[in-house]
Amino acid sequence: MFETAVIVETVVKAVIVVAVVAAMAGFATFIERKVLAFMQRRLGPMHVGPYGLLQLAADGIKLFTKEDIIPQNAIKPIFMIAPVVAATSAFVAMAAVPYFPEFTLFGYTIHPIISDINVALLYVMGVASVGIYGPLLAGMSSANKWSLLGAARAVVQMLSFEVVSGLSILAPIMLIGSLSLIDINDYQSGGISNWLIWKQPLAFVLFAIAGFMETNRAPFDTVEFEAEVVAGYATEYSGMRWGLFFIGEYANMITISVLVSIIFMGGYAPLGFIPGAVMMLLKVSFWIFLFLWVRAAWPHVRPDQLMWVCWKVMMPLAVVNILITGFVLI
Amino acid sequence: MNDITITIDGKACLAKEGEYVLGVARRNNIFIPALCYVTNCSPTLACRLCLVDIDGKRAYSCNARAKEGMNVITKSEEIEKERRAIMEIYDVNHPLECGVCDQSGECELQNYTLHMGVDAQHHCIADTHRPTKQWGRIHYDASLCIVCERCVTVCKDMIGESALKTVPRGGAELDKAWKDKTEKDAYAMWNKLQKSIIGIASGAESLDCTQCGECTAVCPVGALVGSDFQYSSNAWELKKIPASNPHSSDCSLLFYDVKQTSISNPEPKIYRVSSEHNYAPLHAAARYGFDFQNEVTCKDEKAFETVVESLKTKVDTIAFESYITNEEALILQKLKEKYGYKLINPEAKRYQEFLKHYASTSGKSLYSGDLERVRSSNFVVSFASAIKTDSPNAGYAMNNAIGMNKGAGLYFHPIADPVVSAYSKNLLSITHKVGAEEAIAYFLLDLFGDKEAMPKALIDYLATFHTIEKKTIQENIKEDVKEMVKDEESGEEKEVITSVSKVVEKEIEVDTNALVSLIGAEEDVSDKITKLLDKKDSFSLMVGEDVYAHPRAKNIAKLLGLIERFTPFNIVIIPSRTNTLGVSLICDLDEEKGNYILGYNTKGDVTLSALGKGDLAMPALNQQEGTFTSMNKRVVPTNAALPFKGYYLNDIANALGLETEWTIDYTPLLPAQKGFKAQKFDDLPNQYENDGRENRGYLLETQELTCNDEVEPLESFTCKEGDMVYLANPVHQFSAFTNKAHQLNEAGALYVSKDFLEAKNLKSGDMVTLENDAGAKLVIALKEEPMIGGMIPYLPDFDTKIDVTPFFKEGYRFASVTMKGVAHV
Amino acid sequence: MTLNDFKKRDCSGDYIFFEGEKKSENGWEAFQRVMKRTLKGELFVGLWVVLREMIRFDIHTLKYPAEKMEMGPRYRAIHRLLRLFESGSERCIGCGLCEKICIAKCIRMETRIDEKSRKEVSEYSINFGRCIFCGYCAEVCPELAIVHGVEYENASEQRAHFGLKEDMLTPLDTFRAKEQKEFSGFGALSDHADETVKQTPLAY
Repeated sequence: MFETAVIVETVVKAVIVVAVVAAMAGFATFIERKVLAFMQRRLGPMHVGPYGLLQLAADGIKLFTKEDIIPQNAIKPIFMIAPVVAATSAFVAMAAVPYFPEFTLFGYTIHPIISDINVALLYVMGVASVGIYGPLLAGMSSANKWSLLGAARAVVQMLSFEVVSGLSILAPIMLIGSLSLIDINDYQSGGISNWLIWKQPLAFVLFAIAGFMETNRAPFDTVEFEAEVVAGYATEYSGMRWGLFFIGEYANMITISVLVSIIFMGGYAPLGFIPGAVMMLLKVSFWIFLFLWVRAAWPHVRPDQLMWVCWKVMMPLAVVNILITGFVLI
Repeated sequence: MNDITITIDGKACLAKEGEYVLGVARRNNIFIPALCYVTNCSPTLACRLCLVDIDGKRAYSCNARAKEGMNVITKSEEIEKERRAIMEIYDVNHPLECGVCDQSGECELQNYTLHMGVDAQHHCIADTHRPTKQWGRIHYDASLCIVCERCVTVCKDMIGESALKTVPRGGAELDKAWKDKTEKDAYAMWNKLQKSIIGIASGAESLDCTQCGECTAVCPVGALVGSDFQYSSNAWELKKIPASNPHSSDCSLLFYDVKQTSISNPEPKIYRVSSEHNYAPLHAAARYGFDFQNEVTCKDEKAFETVVESLKTKVDTIAFESYITNEEALILQKLKEKYGYKLINPEAKRYQEFLKHYASTSGKSLYSGDLERVRSSNFVVSFASAIKTDSPNAGYAMNNAIGMNKGAGLYFHPIADPVVSAYSKNLLSITHKVGAEEAIAYFLLDLFGDKEAMPKALIDYLATFHTIEKKTIQENIKEDVKEMVKDEESGEEKEVITSVSKVVEKEIEVDTNALVSLIGAEEDVSDKITKLLDKKDSFSLMVGEDVYAHPRAKNIAKLLGLIERFTPFNIVIIPSRTNTLGVSLICDLDEEKGNYILGYNTKGDVTLSALGKGDLAMPALNQQEGTFTSMNKRVVPTNAALPFKGYYLNDIANALGLETEWTIDYTPLLPAQKGFKAQKFDDLPNQYENDGRENRGYLLETQELTCNDEVEPLESFTCKEGDMVYLANPVHQFSAFTNKAHQLNEAGALYVSKDFLEAKNLKSGDMVTLENDAGAKLVIALKEEPMIGGMIPYLPDFDTKIDVTPFFKEGYRFASVTMKGVAHV
Repeated sequence: MTLNDFKKRDCSGDYIFFEGEKKSENGWEAFQRVMKRTLKGELFVGLWVVLREMIRFDIHTLKYPAEKMEMGPRYRAIHRLLRLFESGSERCIGCGLCEKICIAKCIRMETRIDEKSRKEVSEYSINFGRCIFCGYCAEVCPELAIVHGVEYENASEQRAHFGLKEDMLTPLDTFRAKEQKEFSGFGALSDHADETVKQTPLAY
């Protein structure tokens, strides 16, 4: 009986997360367009619905109804499955991420996390790594040079920055002594001064940069930079398959925002009269806004510069950060 | 020839004594501006722009004659100032309508205004209303006229009609105050400009001349333009395609000015014909008869197959006209050599025969003169040609020679021509009996022959015409009588000489030449000729097509050969059609027709026609490239102005087994033994040099042949009494091709003089029936032609609707007919 | 501004030559440069600029089909053929200068003599497939007849729909409604044109 209840609860949670995140990903595209437009003195989408709000629906309809083209020389099964891999990995990573504090609904205590496992952080990092397969498979199966180049860039970049992101959160983990995100969150529940961002500023900066990298967002969007590789690995995709990549990217963005909020910025701990859930929403919103803001302001980085800064600057800094943390702990 | 040296701007230039300095400068590529001067015509001194400094004195280079050691400076500050002032005056009240003016872009007033740097106007005077005039094909806008008098000059000195003159403008008097404020020459020019304008010499409402349009060609501004061209295109949009006159044997250089037909139709269209007016005048047909092209939309393969098939199987004769290029003539000749077709062209055949007989006594394969020679001579004789209509350019040369070289001339023709008679008072028009050409040839030989060189038999024969009579005449003599007169007042005696006239009886020898009466001329013609011959040293003789078909053509040709050898005359035997000379040299023509005839531009069992009426369409002469052999014995190139989408003669020849890609590949293959050169078409120049030299194509080489003196005695030639007609086209018309051009198109009629109408009590527009002994009958309308005299009407052959061949079976251009009036239907 | 200011074509004195940053020669210099760039905070300037614009909310978007941009008189859009204000007859006299000066060779005209013995432009066309909208035709036109319009909405089934005389000529009803405006753009007379020409004396 208990087992069944857990399964039902988990399934319900999973469906809610997927639905909400997918919807948010869609909404994020709208927000992105609006924010970018405002920053560039434009209005952005205005014609579909009030203030262009229904643009989202229009885009969705377009994506769903667009012809799904598979190139003649593409390796068909792989080509077809690659976007699914990309989207799935993005969503699966969310299984171990807590979004809000516990709350009671109809007398039933709900943990807003699908599965509170004690190696949550490791799990998230691991699943996110699987996300590499999406671009890799897509690029290699497309029989298109741009796709192949995009895939190569994606793999090189992601592998490199995995090291940085892994090493950079090692220091906070050493401080907390747990890989569970709930533990990490609880560790900072004392107020703003308790946030890890103050104890681990370097780790925060490194993780944030690596986060931008893993989501392929500007200024590190070398993977699908139009001027260089057309649309990178997604060049040959159209319709809903391309839409899956798109949703995956935005889901990743949300995941990273949540992670950063939880690990470094106090998570869903309430602040004064502001409840924890609101805090969490504010933090995540800020991070998503930051993603857009950076895209509006900064130019894109050359792939070789990216590698250079990864291996010669960020990776050593992360190691140094661990060493210092280690020494301080001892 | 270049016997003195003068210095122009420090450059030593060779010149002839008495030559105009402007001409010397132009020959040496030294630029002297001039608005009013037309090369080969007399200086007008209207514009004064050609002002130069000769040995420190101001002179006008257009009429200053070169003298040994002369030093000419063409540019100095003073001269430039003067010239600028002149241009400024020309710009006073000149309408600022360059935007709509037809001359804009090739306007000499524009050019010189810019050249002299006129950027401000200091002069002013009230303008006079000068209305525009429509003179037939010529449009005169008096407000644009700068009264340079080029039109007047060229009409008088080149064309010989003097149809234009300056008339009073009726404008405001020039304020004397300007005299102090204006440069000297500029003021003088202005003074004259303000008083005159161009008008019609005869005072008539419209131009009563032949309307050759040369005045529109020479006009430096847009005052005189062709009515048809007016406002139809801006000059610079037109592409000039150099060609040669396709209508008559002068083959003058002309340019087809071509542009797209319209915005929606990019096919080229000829908008007008332009010329090098300084060097070569054009006659009306050349100027206005340009759109005679044969338009076809595509290659008619079926018709082509039929023609080729019939050439392979049935055709044994090819009949053609001489309106073809040398290359086409050679193609026909090659076809004859390969397949044995008979070539029939009676007109060229007669010319060929004539040249052959001429060569037998002259010893030269070709005649010695050309129009250039005619122009430089000072005694010009024309006979057997209605020169005004048959070969206008020969007439222009004759007029130019008489006018410019203080020359004189004789014009023999059975039909009086008021236009030719008016060339000069030193031109004696002799209206002779029909058929008297042989007698004229003897007469010329008698008058001009070198009695020492001529064979004895001939001298003796000529002497038989002379009878010397003693005659007593009364003569007025003035005698001086000396008288002693006593002055009544002083009483002194003085010797006073008074002249008293008295009548004296005198006995003189009168040499009566029987030839004169045979010709039908007045008795004192010999004396008149002797008077005209005073101080004449270079002689030209032009012979026209009347004699080629003359019953005595053979003997006349031989007599001309003797004239060539024993008199100082340079002879021009004017080819009767555009390329008659070329055809007669290239083709081996036959007398007898075969059974099945292919006609090229003439009637046949199968017809190729550029007139648009045959079984297979052929290109007209403005649609093909090739060469003509001109009256000047030059092989001159002509280019295709318009495309032709059908088959060329070369295509037919290729289908029959001759293998040549282009028609012009035949140009270097023209027969060298006849005087042609192996020059490629693309290497042939087609232009006039700065010194006026005709650098067009190449000259035919004349072969020296052995010759004899055999001529036959004069044979009496009597014409039937009664009405005669003369096979000739009116002014402007030469063939069906000229009649196809939209500006010249008219219906043929019987062209009669005013005297004829009065004598017969008929009027213009009446219908008459012509009949001859053989039973040929033709109903034709009468048309009064003011430019002919006498009782012989012109019967034209340019109108294909009128078949005149039955009247001229033997080819002789005069035929007797019975003429009956017909009542109006 | 005097004409001499235009004639001065040697403007080398006004150029600023920028040689760029010196390339670092060794690792230390390269490190210094990285540090400098990292700590200088240039990136935050960029962030501030875009944020500032967002806050200011000074939007420049024109909602195109609903709102249309007011074009300046010197804008060079599809040509117009104007009429004379006094009589309403066509200004074009067919001088052909536009045809001549057109560097794309896209102007063609047909002229003829009309009933009043004047030069009449019967057809006038601009091939907009070739026109580069350089404005020379408007500049060279002595009558200010061919001018650039401000009509930039040029969608049609065929380019030719804009290039014929009847398309470009001010329609008579528009003209009668006094809607034709004098052209003040490229090629129009300047305000002080009278001062720049030399006067012709008219004292008689």
